[in-house]
Amino acid sequence: MTDGKAVSVKDTRFRTVDALLIALMVLPLAACLVLKILFTPEYEGVHISGALIYLQIDSFPVQPLLITESQVNSAGITLSILGLCLYLTHGLTVKAQTRRQLIAEWIVEKCRGLVDSNMGESWSGYAPFVAAIMGLSAFSSLSCLIGLFAPTGDVNVTAGWAVLVFFLVTWTKLRGGFLNYLRGFTEPVVFFTPMNFISEFSLPVSMAFRHYGNVMCGAVISALVGSALTGLSRMLLGWIPVIGELPLLTVGIPAVLSLYFDVFSGLMQAFIFAMLTMLNISNSFPAEAWEKRQKKKELRKMQKATVNG
Amino acid sequence: MQSLSIISVNLWHVLFALANLAIIYVIVRRFLFKPVNKVLDERRAEIDGIYAKAEKASAEAEESRLNYAAAMEAAEQTANQLIMEASRDAERRGNEIESEARSRAADIRRQAETDAMLERRKAEDDIRREIADVSTRLTGKLLEREISEADHRALIDSFLQEIGTENDTDK
Repeated sequence: MTDGKAVSVKDTRFRTVDALLIALMVLPLAACLVLKILFTPEYEGVHISGALIYLQIDSFPVQPLLITESQVNSAGITLSILGLCLYLTHGLTVKAQTRRQLIAEWIVEKCRGLVDSNMGESWSGYAPFVAAIMGLSAFSSLSCLIGLFAPTGDVNVTAGWAVLVFFLVTWTKLRGGFLNYLRGFTEPVVFFTPMNFISEFSLPVSMAFRHYGNVMCGAVISALVGSALTGLSRMLLGWIPVIGELPLLTVGIPAVLSLYFDVFSGLMQAFIFAMLTMLNISNSFPAEAWEKRQKKKELRKMQKATVNG
Repeated sequence: MQSLSIISVNLWHVLFALANLAIIYVIVRRFLFKPVNKVLDERRAEIDGIYAKAEKASAEAEESRLNYAAAMEAAEQTANQLIMEASRDAERRGNEIESEARSRAADIRRQAETDAMLERRKAEDDIRREIADVSTRLTGKLLEREISEADHRALIDSFLQEIGTENDTDK
């Protein structure tokens, strides 16, 4: 009796936590959607623009702080991902019993396998970072499926990620020593230094614009096709009373476009961004210089030991 | 409400996105990878334990199998030895019995021969006595008192003795 009661209490607690976590997944996105609906003005004709500005604070240094859709949606997606992670890892057991545990293990093992095969076993500490990039990028791109503005369609967002990747690349390069890092710019000859600088700083720019451009162009094409189809249906069917008022031709075709631009292209860009991150970071590691330094360190240690001995 | 132009750079937005990715990294690491890795490690440890147990069990089984085989071999050897001993014993007993029987048979035969010879001697003596009697009576009848019976008998006895010895040498 008591056992059954205890189990049922545990069960209800488990279920309650589950429900809360699902709410944590869904509510932030719903809140973003509500905010967007409240703030979106009426448009006439083709309207292509960036994120909506919700709040403007002018008293910030350098540039006024603008709270736009991309920031709000990013925060919502962050909370949603937090909820998803907690939900997937809620009630893990050594013997995998639930489907969500299988999914969680699949994600972890796939990410680790991807990092191991692309960067090498010694880089497996980057697996969570790669998983974070892929998850955030994919969720951001897919958020336009529920009608939100995709944060990846804002160049500032992808630029922020690319800058972080650039920091990581530079950090990895610095592991070979600061002088070695500086010397790397003069290779193969001093003449190439300006070009090396440009190629160094083009990495974050190219990564940011690749991702942003792909998502934004999808949105632009979707908007253009949508408005064109609206005009076409008004032209062809406008003479019919009542029905002529509805843009009937916009049913169907935009969905197919959305499937390509939002789903396929979004996931593809997430994958590409993650791949570029992995390759750039692992390629930037100065293996030779690092080995030399290790050898020097060991030699010095041995010399010290002999002097002391 | 205003919106951003389609491409506009805002430093704060870049920093915000950077921090956002860093936060997501921390979230994914802390709330997804850490627990899952922990569970995977636990599972690997459990599997290792099971493997070690299985290996131990199989080693034990192999050992007991070897012990059993050795015991079986020893038992077989003992059995062979027993059989060999028994057969040797049986052979010896058989030989003994045979030789005993043979010696006994020889004894019996010798006894029989002696008996037969004694019988014969006896028979010969009887016959000789018969003959002596007969001849005494005959000669007595023939010669009547010409000779004393005692002398006569002695004469015949010596004669018959000669015959007997001749017969014996003949034999």
